[in-house]
Amino acid sequence: MNTKTTYSEQELVALLQQRSDHSFSYLYDNYSGALLGVIGAIVSDQEIARDVLQEVFVNIWRKIGSYDPTKGRLFTWMMNVARNAAIDKVRSRGYQDSLKNQAIPDNADNSSMAGSATLPQVADTGLKKVLTKLKEDHRILIDMSYFQGYTHDEISKILDIPLGTVKTRIRSALTHLRTMIK
Amino acid sequence: MNVQDYISSGIVESYVLGLASPEEQLDFERMCGQYPEVLQARTDFELAMEQQAMQNAIAPPSALKQQIKDAVLPAEAKIIPIDTLAPVIKANWFKYAAAACAVLLAGSLYWNISQFNRNRKLQETYDGLVKDYDSNALRLAEVEDEIEMMKLNPNVKMAAMKGKEISPESYATVYWDSTSKDVYLLVNNLPKPASDKQYQLWALLDGKPIDVGMIDNDYFIDQKRLLLRMKNVSHAQGFAITLEDKGGSPTPRGDMYTLGNL
Repeated sequence: MNTKTTYSEQELVALLQQRSDHSFSYLYDNYSGALLGVIGAIVSDQEIARDVLQEVFVNIWRKIGSYDPTKGRLFTWMMNVARNAAIDKVRSRGYQDSLKNQAIPDNADNSSMAGSATLPQVADTGLKKVLTKLKEDHRILIDMSYFQGYTHDEISKILDIPLGTVKTRIRSALTHLRTMIK
Repeated sequence: MNVQDYISSGIVESYVLGLASPEEQLDFERMCGQYPEVLQARTDFELAMEQQAMQNAIAPPSALKQQIKDAVLPAEAKIIPIDTLAPVIKANWFKYAAAACAVLLAGSLYWNISQFNRNRKLQETYDGLVKDYDSNALRLAEVEDEIEMMKLNPNVKMAAMKGKEISPESYATVYWDSTSKDVYLLVNNLPKPASDKQYQLWALLDGKPIDVGMIDNDYFIDQKRLLLRMKNVSHAQGFAITLEDKGGSPTPRGDMYTLGNL
């Protein structure tokens, strides 16, 4: 029906607000892979990652009215919706329980479960792969703050590092990260 | 701290990746509005992140699209009344319509009740009028009969009884039908009797009194009837009224109030 295949971010926001079949299809076709990549860097289990992806689309659909273009690009907003949903899932009791339950079959049959190997929990793809190039103390801080969602205060307590140092090191790690991404 | 130092402090990445504190976020948004370089740095990093994410996309299984679509579109149906403008108007329309219906219903109920009460009053008035009409029509028919009897019947004879010494102002009239022998009494004026006394009408034949009946004391209280129907008498030369003990007497004992001849 609609022959237009690409939209500017502004057009896409207007399209999403129409809530049509077409706007869903466009959003899904263009962004589901990238968002699943963001989720997959946090949630190791592929099936759970797909459940999270569904939650993310539902959330985007619901909250598109609260997206403010002056505060950032639409993709940045969607990426953060995906990251928050993934972290919420990882921190949920149900996910923690499922990891314990899965530990036995994963160990028992490693060959058929290659895609969801228990160690390392998260596949080294995307941003996570970039992370491996960082210095160890930087890597841990980005992992804990970005991929596991700990606050600076929590990291300070867990690692027994002063809060100011946590902040400075994270900022420093992020500037390194940028040079690697570019 | 100059703008370049601010840009390279890590705040840009911190903000875009959602790691900045609320205070840092507000500060950064203010800086973006103030310094185009900051905004440019933000956009550059956002595009780099987006490109990075696109390059590291994980293709979801093809069946997932329909599954997610089914989850999203029902969610949309639930969300519409809150989020979008048109259904809100629809909700308002419904709200106003419901309010209008309630007002109309209340108005209708009030109207029905007031009409019911009004109808009931009208029905009561109507019933009263019908009753009055019936009794008046009956009374009129009686009066007509009485007038018929008095004026048009040539056989009716009249005895005008004048007051005696005890009550000179008393006056009464007897109409006697010589063929049917019916006796009617018209009391023109008689003093109201004591409750234990009663007037009695006598026909006089050859000087002898014949009882023709009592005058009910109610007649003096509620003087509706014009003529009182008395007992028939076959022959009479005159009539008289005496005041007797209540219930009457076989022969006159009390005072005579009126007397007249045919």
